[in-house]
Amino acid sequence: MQSFYRLYSIASSMKTGLVLLFLIGITAAVGSSVFPGNFYQIPVFKLLLMLLLVNMILCTFNRIKLTFRVLLKRFGRRVWYRQLGIFTLHLGIILVLVGGLIYSVSGQNDRIHLLAGDRVDIAKVLDIRHPFTLQLDEFRIEFNEDGSPSQYISEVTVLENGQVTDQIAISVNHPLNYQGVKAYQTSFGYLVKAAYIAENGENKEGRFFEGEWLDPDGTNRRVRIYKYIPNFNPAYGMRSVTLRPDNPHIVFSVYENDKLLGIGAAKLNEPAQIDENVYVTFTGVEPYTILEVKSDPGLPLVLIGGCALMLGVCLAMLATPRRKKNMV
Amino acid sequence: METLMDIFIYVVLFCYFASALLYWGGGKFHNSMAAKAALGLAILGCILHLAILVMRTALIGVLPLTNGLEFLLSFSWVTVLLYLLMQTRYPIQPAAGAVMLISALLVSLVVILMRDQLSAVAPLMPALKSPWLTVHVITAAVAYAAFALAAGLAAVQFFPAGQSIKDDHIYLLVGGGFVLLSLSIVLGAIWAEQAWGRYWSWDPKETWALITWIIYAIYLHIYRSRDWPGTTTRWMVIIGFALVLFTFFGVNYLLPGLHSYA
Repeated sequence: MQSFYRLYSIASSMKTGLVLLFLIGITAAVGSSVFPGNFYQIPVFKLLLMLLLVNMILCTFNRIKLTFRVLLKRFGRRVWYRQLGIFTLHLGIILVLVGGLIYSVSGQNDRIHLLAGDRVDIAKVLDIRHPFTLQLDEFRIEFNEDGSPSQYISEVTVLENGQVTDQIAISVNHPLNYQGVKAYQTSFGYLVKAAYIAENGENKEGRFFEGEWLDPDGTNRRVRIYKYIPNFNPAYGMRSVTLRPDNPHIVFSVYENDKLLGIGAAKLNEPAQIDENVYVTFTGVEPYTILEVKSDPGLPLVLIGGCALMLGVCLAMLATPRRKKNMV
Repeated sequence: METLMDIFIYVVLFCYFASALLYWGGGKFHNSMAAKAALGLAILGCILHLAILVMRTALIGVLPLTNGLEFLLSFSWVTVLLYLLMQTRYPIQPAAGAVMLISALLVSLVVILMRDQLSAVAPLMPALKSPWLTVHVITAAVAYAAFALAAGLAAVQFFPAGQSIKDDHIYLLVGGGFVLLSLSIVLGAIWAEQAWGRYWSWDPKETWALITWIIYAIYLHIYRSRDWPGTTTRWMVIIGFALVLFTFFGVNYLLPGLHSYA
């Protein structure tokens, strides 16, 4: 029994908490330099965070008695605010850590690619209680005068059982929030449309992802549709001058028997010769949006915790008892 | 206006360096004229520094808090302003030379690393278009300034002239800086949740901001408990500011991530 109390007092002490904080700081500093990108997935690091959570719960629990004693007695307003602030701030950190834990256990996220007109059943992407369908009506990029992007916008319709229940423009900083599912504007891409005529005069048209292969009839040469460049300038190479389609080109390469014959940049709607009498015309592009969909049951807890942390830290510090004799 | 900003930045740099020199020299020879001149130069520099920030605001149409240059300009200005305000109430004058030197070095980094950006205008990228930008960055800038000032005070405590600096004044600054850093981190997390879809990504800037938050949190706990000698806490305040500078420069220039706007 005595050893249990000893263990409890060590586990709940502020000193242990500070040592854990210190270790977390050191691990994060070393980790972010040695394994940037994924050091936070190292088991030791996760363990430290868990131990900190346990320590803070015990430490704050132990302080409840003290906090209430101070709050109920008349120690002066400053002491009162300070105690309340310290308590709220630590409670806030606990809630943030618990919320983060909930996400790591039951949070879900995935990326969806949508062309205009596409529909996706969110229940097939995330395991959710309230199924609904997301339909992309339009994806567009708005530009500043200098050609840099000013906003990426996905106009979407939300449907339940075929009935429209919501319409919203998802853009960067303005996610969709529907029945506990959030969808964020994350990225985008293009499908390249290509028309090619074979020797027999037959027209073919197809849509291709960047990097896909096209096999025109009448030749054993293959075309690799490498990249769409909205504002092409040979001096910039494969980089687009801006994202605005001021001079749209398709960069492609031609292969024969797995041997690279050459690389070209074709203007949209201008036929590019692949072989004698074999041409490919890139007729346009179709943008698709990439949305990150997420369900995080821990999010409300993290938000409440973050607000409690902010409120608590302000109360605790602004109400620091003045020690007149030292302060002059 | 662009030329004026260019001229002003050099004048500000001169004022801060000259002020720092006069404070050091004047302090050594107990020359009150030198101290007065140093204070005058610091005030003049601070006013011209503000003028640069105002011109920059006029140039870009929003508060100058949108890239590395503007952050450095704002944070070094708040450092000087905070010192000038604080020395009217508290006897922290022995640290004036150190604080002005820190400010002068920060401004000289603007001149050395980013002078060509001073008159450059670029529209905000979509992720930065948010009302959270202003509060997230202002709180960070003022927090950094408080930590800079605290580090200046802690550093002069190691010299005989700085013996009169009170630990409680450093504690006050670190406490205030800690409140603002906490606000900045939480507000940034709320913003990140909206913009990137996750409130915490362990992006280098987030990780290093957390590391600085941790060292100051430890300082505040052990300072209150008074178990540790003053030299240890002084070193923590200095190391804390070194980490703050690494969070700004190191992460912007060495460890690219989501926060690569500079």
